Amino acid sequence: MKALVSPGAARSGVVVLVLIAWEAFARLAGVNKILIAPPSEVLWQIVRIFATSSDVPDFYPHMWVTLWELLVAYAITASLGVLIGALFAGSKLIGDAFEPIVLVLYAIPKVILYPLIVLVLGIGMVPKIVFGVMVGIFVVVFNTAAGLRQVEPMYVGLARSLGYSKGEIFFKVVLPAAAPTILAGLRLGFGYTIIGIITAELLVVNAGLGFLIDWASFNYFTPQLYALIIITLCVGVVGNGLFSVLERRWVR
Amino acid sequence: MAVIEIKGVNKTYRDPASGRETRTLENIRLSATDNDFLVLLGPSGCGKSTLLNIIAGLVPHDDGGEVLVQGRRVTGPNPKLMAYMFQDPVLYPWRTVQKNVEFGLEAQRVDKEEGRERALKYLRMVGLEGFADYYPRQLSGGMCQRVALCRSLALETDIVLMDEPFGALDEQSRIILGDELVEIWRKVRRTVVFVTHSLTEAVYLGQRIVVFTARPGRIKAVIENPLPRPRSIGSAEFNGVVDTLWGHLKEESLLALMREKAIEEQVALPKE
Repeated sequence: MKALVSPGAARSGVVVLVLIAWEAFARLAGVNKILIAPPSEVLWQIVRIFATSSDVPDFYPHMWVTLWELLVAYAITASLGVLIGALFAGSKLIGDAFEPIVLVLYAIPKVILYPLIVLVLGIGMVPKIVFGVMVGIFVVVFNTAAGLRQVEPMYVGLARSLGYSKGEIFFKVVLPAAAPTILAGLRLGFGYTIIGIITAELLVVNAGLGFLIDWASFNYFTPQLYALIIITLCVGVVGNGLFSVLERRWVR
Repeated sequence: MAVIEIKGVNKTYRDPASGRETRTLENIRLSATDNDFLVLLGPSGCGKSTLLNIIAGLVPHDDGGEVLVQGRRVTGPNPKLMAYMFQDPVLYPWRTVQKNVEFGLEAQRVDKEEGRERALKYLRMVGLEGFADYYPRQLSGGMCQRVALCRSLALETDIVLMDEPFGALDEQSRIILGDELVEIWRKVRRTVVFVTHSLTEAVYLGQRIVVFTARPGRIKAVIENPLPRPRSIGSAEFNGVVDTLWGHLKEESLLALMREKAIEEQVALPKE
């Protein structure tokens, strides 16, 4: 039987309904304007923020701070995470020796370390980058190690019987076989790195999107606050979208 | 002329945990000539697959004895001389059918264009040229095994080693693929060594059939298959050959079965 509506149409329909309900509720008499902003107003604020005609001060410099922190933190998360994961999977000695340590570190709530990081590294971009890496790197390490370890032994056996060298086997068989798991780790790691960076910006408030969100909240600029939250979310959504494109191209 | 010569080969596995040794193969002497279709038949655990792996150079044999392929000692996998086909198709899910077939040729740096043509040639022989751009997950088990067959044959080696290549398939697919294999074998003339535990398959495909004893595997008999091709399964002559084989094999299969049971029930083994 053919479905009456497509999943996409159903999804859009629900989103529109929620927006209408939200708009209506926010415009009801007696609803506190400081707590709830209607979506139309939020959308207008987003436009104004990008046009720098809003009350939000220095939007672009602050956004670049966050994006730059994110870029650097994620570059470290991805490269170092894949490297460590590959070492764990590649050498039984290294894996057995150091993976337990990484597992313990993973279990620590990283936030409790942030005051220490600030004490040592100050309040610039560096502590935020470090914190972003600390939050993001674990899933990359674990997924890379798991992906490489779970490669079907027969895949390697076949390549060996066909006369491939060790290096060729790694690049032609092991890596593509592990790619879906590694890519999933990189995708999750990206999300966690954003969480780490924004958390750090909200803990020590001096620059970045986290600073602006805190500023808007502190000054009761409610529509601006909503708008800034949505802009921050979009950074994650765009990054996630890039990974979807990559996965479709590389993973079968 | 003997293409493969096995002279007094033994194989012992040592369990690294308990240090216990199991003798899998004992004093194997066997040779395969040009254009031979040699079937290795035996009860499970008799070491027939191990022997195939030794020929392929994937597994070392015990000191003493030797394996010669085209007069040279086997020291490791030699895909220019011997193609090897596993029981599982082992296709890479990220490569298309065509690319999977070409995989063995890429290792030998065969020219891209030639590799493509060779892959297509064999895909055509098994009726899969229309599926060249498909991915393995879009194919049935029998089709995947055909692709694996193409990958082995595309190497165009003088020797093809096959380890129960159709073992995971249903009976009809087995017969059809067997037909295709024999057809190709007659066309391109290779030396095939084919491991199976199926009597029917052995008689249907084999030119010469080597019967193994239960572990430790020794050669119990080598039988020349008198049946002309094409063979018809279930004909009186066919069943006659099957009966002869079964006569050799029955006792060994019973022994192997009893052992399996003994291991399952933790009963002491009868003295070997």
